[in-house]
Amino acid sequence: MRDPLTLTLSPEGRGKKKDDAMQFVLQLVFAGVCVGAVYALIAMGLSLTFWTTRTLNFGQGSLLMTASVATVAMLGAGMPAALAVPLGILLAGGLMVVAERIAIRPLLKSGDSMGWVVSTLGLGIFLQGFVSSVFGSQAIAFPSLVFDSLDSVDVAGVQVSSQYLAVLGLSLTLMVAMELFLRRSAWGRAVRAVSHDADAAALAGIPVRRVIVLSFVASGVLAGIAGVMVAQITGTVDPSFGFNLMVLGFVAAVFGGMGNTAGALVGGIALGVIEKLVGGYVSTAAEHGMAFAILMVILAIRPQGLFGRKEFTKV
Amino acid sequence: MHRRSVIRLLGAAVTLTSALALSAGSAAAQDTIKIGMTSALTGPYNEYGEGGRRGVELAIEKWNAKGGINGKTIELAMLLDDQLVPDRAVQNMRRLLDNKELVAIIGPAGSGPTLAVIEMAAADGRPYMNPVAQTPTVTYPDGGKPRPNVFSFALQNDVESTVLGRYVASQFKKPGLVHESTAYGVSGADMIAKELKAAGGAVVATETYNQRAQDVTAQIARLQRAGADVVVCVGLGADLAVIRRTMARLNFNVPLVASNGALSIPYQEAAGDLVTGTRGSMVYVFGEETLNPAAQGFADAYKAKYGTDRWWGNDPQRPQIFMSLSVSNAYDAADVLFEGIKRANSTDPKAIATAIEGIQGLRGVNATYSFSATKHHAIAPEDVAIFEYVKSGDKIGLTIVRN
Repeated sequence: MRDPLTLTLSPEGRGKKKDDAMQFVLQLVFAGVCVGAVYALIAMGLSLTFWTTRTLNFGQGSLLMTASVATVAMLGAGMPAALAVPLGILLAGGLMVVAERIAIRPLLKSGDSMGWVVSTLGLGIFLQGFVSSVFGSQAIAFPSLVFDSLDSVDVAGVQVSSQYLAVLGLSLTLMVAMELFLRRSAWGRAVRAVSHDADAAALAGIPVRRVIVLSFVASGVLAGIAGVMVAQITGTVDPSFGFNLMVLGFVAAVFGGMGNTAGALVGGIALGVIEKLVGGYVSTAAEHGMAFAILMVILAIRPQGLFGRKEFTKV
Repeated sequence: MHRRSVIRLLGAAVTLTSALALSAGSAAAQDTIKIGMTSALTGPYNEYGEGGRRGVELAIEKWNAKGGINGKTIELAMLLDDQLVPDRAVQNMRRLLDNKELVAIIGPAGSGPTLAVIEMAAADGRPYMNPVAQTPTVTYPDGGKPRPNVFSFALQNDVESTVLGRYVASQFKKPGLVHESTAYGVSGADMIAKELKAAGGAVVATETYNQRAQDVTAQIARLQRAGADVVVCVGLGADLAVIRRTMARLNFNVPLVASNGALSIPYQEAAGDLVTGTRGSMVYVFGEETLNPAAQGFADAYKAKYGTDRWWGNDPQRPQIFMSLSVSNAYDAADVLFEGIKRANSTDPKAIATAIEGIQGLRGVNATYSFSATKHHAIAPEDVAIFEYVKSGDKIGLTIVRN
C-alpha cells in the first residue's frame, strides 16, 4: 500500500515521485518517436512518387493493408515468416506499379488534371472492399515475428519495448539507406533528375518511364514494411487499418516539406511526439485531432513545410 | 422525366395488384403462422446472422414437433439477407412489411441495420423481435417507455455496463476507465462511472481512443500515472488486444476488465498468452458447469441438426459461451414470440404484444424471462456474469468469477 504522506514528506518519496514524472514523459516521447518513424516511412513513400510524377497516391493506405492481410494469409497457410513477409512487402511494390498504370498514368495525359486524386482514392476503396469480401471485415491476428509485446530492454532506467525499438531501428535504417541511394546511386540521381524536370531528363537519355515505375515500387515496399511494423505493434490487421496511417503519413510529409527525406523524417517524428505529449498532458481525446490541427496550421503559415523550399515556376 | 413518371406509375400498379393478390391469399392461408426475418446470412458478420437463422429454425422445429401454435404450423415464410448493411436491411424490411401474411418480424443482427429499420417496424406495429442489437434505444427510444411492438433479446449496453460497474466497484478501489470514442464506448463508460459512483467509488481517470488506433501509449501511461488498480475498458476485441499489449509494454500489471469484446476471437488471438487474468462480462448460461435443462435441450437439438461447427465452438462436449449471443438469443426470441401468439390465441399485433408482456418466469435458454408493459428487454444484469481467463497447465480457459 502506498501511503500518501511518505510520498510527499520523505526525501525518498519525493525522489520517487520525480522519477515517475520523468518515466511518464520518457515513455510518451519514446512511443511518439517510434510511431512517428513509421509515419515518416509512409511520408517518404508518398514523397518519392510525388517527386517523379507530381501526384500523391491516396490509395497507399489500402495497398499497405492489402500487403499485410496477404502476409497474414500466407502465414496462416503455413508459410514460414522469412518467406511470407518479403512476399507481402513485394506484393505492395507490385500493387503500386498497378496503381501507377491504371490510376495515375492515364490521368496525367490530360495536362493539369487533378483526376488522380479521385482515381487513387477509388483504387484504395476498391482494394478495401475487395479484401473485406475475401477475408471479412473483422480484425485478423498478426503473429509476433521477432519480439513479442513482453520483450523489453532497460535504457537509462526506463523500460523500453523491444518491438518499438525494432520499429524505430528499422525505420531509421531504411530512411538513411533511401537517402544514400538517392544521393549516391545512378538510379537515385535519375530519380532526382526526373523530379527536377522530366522533359530535360528524357532529353538527357534518362529512361523516365522506368524511373517512375521504380519510384512506385520503392514507395510500395516502404509502405509494405510500415504495414508489417504497425501490425507488430497492434497485433491485428483489418481492411480499414491502412487509411488512417496514410493520412498521418501525408500530414507528416506536408509538415516536414513534401519531397524531402529529412523533412519526412522530422515531420513524422515530430507529429508522433506531439500526438503523444498532447495525449499525455492535455487529453487523449485531443490526441486524435492533433494531426489535422498541425496540417491546418502548417498550410496556413508555411505551406512548403518545415524543410521545403518554395516552388517557383519559370515562365 | 416523362419516362420516369411512367415507370413510377407502372410500379405503383404492380404493387397494388400484388398487394391485392396477397390479401386474397392471406384469407385462404389461415392454417399456418408465417413469420419473416432479415439478417446477415452471408458476409463477414454472418456469425450473428446465420447463427440467428439457425436459432429461429430450431425454435420453429420444436414448436411444430409439438403440434404448432394452437394447431397451426409455423413457417419462416420470408428469409432475406442484409449482410448487416443498413441500406439492404431497409429494402428487406420494406419487403417484409409489405407482405401482409407475416404475423411477426425478426430483425437484423446488429445495431447499424437495426437502427435503420426500427422506425419502420415500429410504425407498422406487428411484433418485432430484436435478437442482437445492443443499443438500448432500439427498444426504448427515449430511455423511458418501450416501443409497444418491439422486444429485445440482445445483451443491452446498459445491462452490460451495470454488471461491469457493480463488479469493479466491489473489487477495486481506483478504477481507470478507457473507452472507444463511439456512442457505444462513451455511453458505456458513462454508465459504468455512474454505477461506481452509486457504489461509493470513483474513477481515477477516464481516457478515450479511436476505434482501431495504432498506439494507445498515452492512454495507458495516463491510467498508470493516475495509480489505477484496474483498467476497465469498453471496446472491441481487436482494440482490447492493443490495450493489453500496451499494458504489458509499460509494465503495468493490473487486471483488465472489459465488455464482451474481451471474450471475442480477435482479442484471444491477438493478445495470445496475455489474455490470462483478463475479465469480461457475458451472458453466463453456457459457462455454467452443468447446463440448465433448457440450455441442454437447445444444445442437443443444435448438435443433432448442425453438428459441432464454428457456432458450436472447439469443444465437442459443450457449446461455446458466445453461442448465447449468436444462436440461442434468436432461439429465445422466436420461442417467446410463439408463446405470445399461443397465449393471445390470435395473430392480432396488439393481442400478441399484450400476451408477451404478460409472460412471467418463462425459462428460456439464456435466462428466465419476465416482461411487462414497461420492460421489453429479456436479458437482465442477473443473467450476466464476469468471466476470467485462467491458465491451467498450458491451456487457457474461461471460468465464471464468483463474487
